[in-house]
Amino acid sequence: MAKEDRIPEVDIVVDHKAGVIREVHPPHKLRSRKGHERRVNASIYVVLTIISIIWLAPFVFLVLQSFRSYITENGGMVSYLIPKQFSLDNYRFLFQPESQYLRWYTNTLIIALFCAVIQTIMVLSVSYVLSRMRFRGRRFIMNMILVLGMFPGFLTMIALYFLLKQLGLTQQGAIPGLILIYVASSGMGYYISKGFFDTIPKSLDESARIDGATRFYVFKRIIMPLSKPIVIYTILMGFMGPWGDYVFASYVAFGKSESYNVAVGLFRWMNTRDLQGYFTRFCAGGVLVAIPITILFFILQRYYVEGVTGGAVKG
Amino acid sequence: MASVTLEHVKKIYDNKVVAVQDFNLEIKDKEFVVFVGPSGCGKSTTLRMIAGLEDISEGILKIGDRVVNDVEPKDRDIAMVFQNYALYPHITVYENLAFSLRIRKEKQEDVHRKVVQAAEILGIMEYLGRKPKALSGGQRQRVAIGRAIVREPAVFLMDEPLSNLDAKLRNQMRAEIILLRRRLDTTFVYVTHDQTEAMTLGDRIVIMKDGFIRQVGTPHEVFDKPKNLFVAGFIGSPQMNFFDAQLTRQGDSYSLATHGIQMELDAERAALLRENQVDTMKVILGVRPEHAVIRFEDHENAIPCTLNVNEMMGSELHLHVSITDDQTAILRMPTIDLTEEKRRKLTAGSPLYFSFASKVVQLFDPETEDSLLFK
Repeated sequence: MAKEDRIPEVDIVVDHKAGVIREVHPPHKLRSRKGHERRVNASIYVVLTIISIIWLAPFVFLVLQSFRSYITENGGMVSYLIPKQFSLDNYRFLFQPESQYLRWYTNTLIIALFCAVIQTIMVLSVSYVLSRMRFRGRRFIMNMILVLGMFPGFLTMIALYFLLKQLGLTQQGAIPGLILIYVASSGMGYYISKGFFDTIPKSLDESARIDGATRFYVFKRIIMPLSKPIVIYTILMGFMGPWGDYVFASYVAFGKSESYNVAVGLFRWMNTRDLQGYFTRFCAGGVLVAIPITILFFILQRYYVEGVTGGAVKG
Repeated sequence: MASVTLEHVKKIYDNKVVAVQDFNLEIKDKEFVVFVGPSGCGKSTTLRMIAGLEDISEGILKIGDRVVNDVEPKDRDIAMVFQNYALYPHITVYENLAFSLRIRKEKQEDVHRKVVQAAEILGIMEYLGRKPKALSGGQRQRVAIGRAIVREPAVFLMDEPLSNLDAKLRNQMRAEIILLRRRLDTTFVYVTHDQTEAMTLGDRIVIMKDGFIRQVGTPHEVFDKPKNLFVAGFIGSPQMNFFDAQLTRQGDSYSLATHGIQMELDAERAALLRENQVDTMKVILGVRPEHAVIRFEDHENAIPCTLNVNEMMGSELHLHVSITDDQTAILRMPTIDLTEEKRRKLTAGSPLYFSFASKVVQLFDPETEDSLLFK
C-alpha cells in the first residue's frame, strides 16, 4: 500500500529550444528491477560471446595453420589445431619468386586501387547528378538501375567473357579486363551516397552557384568536403569488391597464372596442386590478404559507420 | 545598381502546376521591393527566377537593360540571402565571406580588404575565425548578408532572411536591414510572408496570391486603398472586419446600411463610387479594427454586439465580438485611458456597441471581390 501512495519522483527540465518545461521521470530504482536488468544483460552477453566465438574460430584456425611449417612439420591437413612449432616457413615461401604469390598480390593491389579510384569518382558523380539535377528520365533511370541491380552479376559471365576476349582483355590482358568489369557498373551503386547528398541542403549549391561557382566547383569544394564519411565509405567499398573477388577473376584470367589475383592463385594451389602439401601456405596467403583490409577498417571505421548510417537517413 | 524588369513572366512546373502567372513589374534602380503573400503564392519562385535558380517558362526578365532569361546565376550580378543562411559549414566565416571573391580570382589584398569591410559593417569581426556552427542564429544571418555584400551586386535578393530568427532578434535585424539598405543604396528584392516586414522595409510592396499579383503599391497605398478583398484582409493586423451591407444610390449620394445602422457616405467616397459607376447593390463592407469606436452604452448608429474574448496586448485590447451567430468582428481598444470600472465591464458575454465613421470604410463587390473605391 505504502508503495502506491508515495509521490513519484519527477525531475523538471527546462527545454530552452522548445520553450517548455518538461517532466522527466527518473528510472525506477527498485532493487528487483535492477537485478532483472542484470540477468537480461548477462544472458545477452553470453549469447554474443558464443556468436563471436563461432565467428572468430575460422580466422583463428587460419592464422594458427599459417604458422605450421610445411618443411619440418606437415603442410597439409592435420588432426590438431596448434602447431607443434611456430615457424615462418610458409610466409618465407610466399616471398620466393617461384611461388608467384607476390605477383598475384601486386595484381590484386593494382586492380583494387584502380577500381577504388575510378569507382569512387563514378559513384559520387552519378549520385551527385541524381541528387541535384532534375532532368527528363531521371526517375526512370533510378528505377531501371534498381531493377537491374536485382540480377546477380554472374548472369553476364559468359557474355562478358566473349566481349573481353574480342578486346584482348582476357588471360594476358586480364588485369585491365577485370578493372573494366568491376568499374563498368559502379555507377549503379549510387544509392547510399545519393541518400547522403540529399541531406546536404540544396541552398548550399544554389548559394555557391550565385557566388560564381560552376557545378563542378560546387561538387569539389562544397559537397566533397562535407561528405567525407561517404567518400571514405565509397573508396572502401570500391577497394574491397575486387580485393576479395574470385568468380570474375577466375575465368577472365583462366589458365594464365601471371594474371591471377590472390584468391584465384591460392585456390589453384589447392585445386590443381597438392592439397596435403600446400594447405598451410594457402593459410599464410590468406592471412596476408586480410592484413591491409583490417588495417584500413581500423583506421576508417568511424567514417565507415557514419557513411552507412548517414546515407540511411534519407534514402 | 540596376533596375529589374519582369514582363509577362510565367512559371509552369514540370507537373503542370502554374506557380506564377503573368507577372509584370518594373523594379526601379535602388528601390526596395517586397514580395509578400501566403505560402504557395509564388513569391519565392519569382525571386528564384530573378536569381536564375528556376527557369522562366514564359516572359522576359531584364536586369538593367540586359535580357537575362538564359544567363547563368553567376553572371547576373546578383547576390542572394537564403532563409536557412546556406553558409558553407566546413570553412570559416572569413572563407565564407571570401568564397565568391576567390572564385573571381581577386587579389589576396582586395579579398582581405572587402571581407574586413563587410565584417565591420555587420559587426562580425571577432567571429571571422569561427566556423558557422559556432555562431548563433543572428550571427549566421549577418554572415549570410556579409557574403552578399562583399560581391557588391547590382541587385540584392533576400528570401525570407529573418524567418528563422526568434521574434526579438527579428525586430533587431529588420532595423539593421533598413540601415544596411541606406548604406548600400542598391536595388533590393525581398521575399517574406510577414506583413510587418513588408510594411516596414518596402518602398513598394507586391502582394501575391495563387501566382497572381493582387496589388502593387507603397505600404501606405496597400493599407489605405486595398485593391481587393484579399489585400484588405491580408495587410493589417488584426485583419479588417467584413460585413454584408446594402449600398443605395440616391442621385449623386450614397448610403450604406448594415446590421441595423444606416449612414451617408462622405463626399470623397461618393465621388469614387460615381466614377466607378456603382449603382445600388449589395456590397461587402470593410472596417479596420482600429477604426471602430467602442461604446458601453447604446448610441446612434452603433452596432450592438457581445464580447467573446478579450485579448490584452499591452497598449491595447483586442476584443473579439459577435454581432449575430455567424458574424463576428475584432475591435481594438487602446488601454491608455481605460478606467478600472470600464475594464471590469470587459468580460466575456458583456454587451458592447461599436460604430465607425463613413470616411474609413472600404467597399467591395461581393462577386469580383474588387474594391469599389479603387481608381
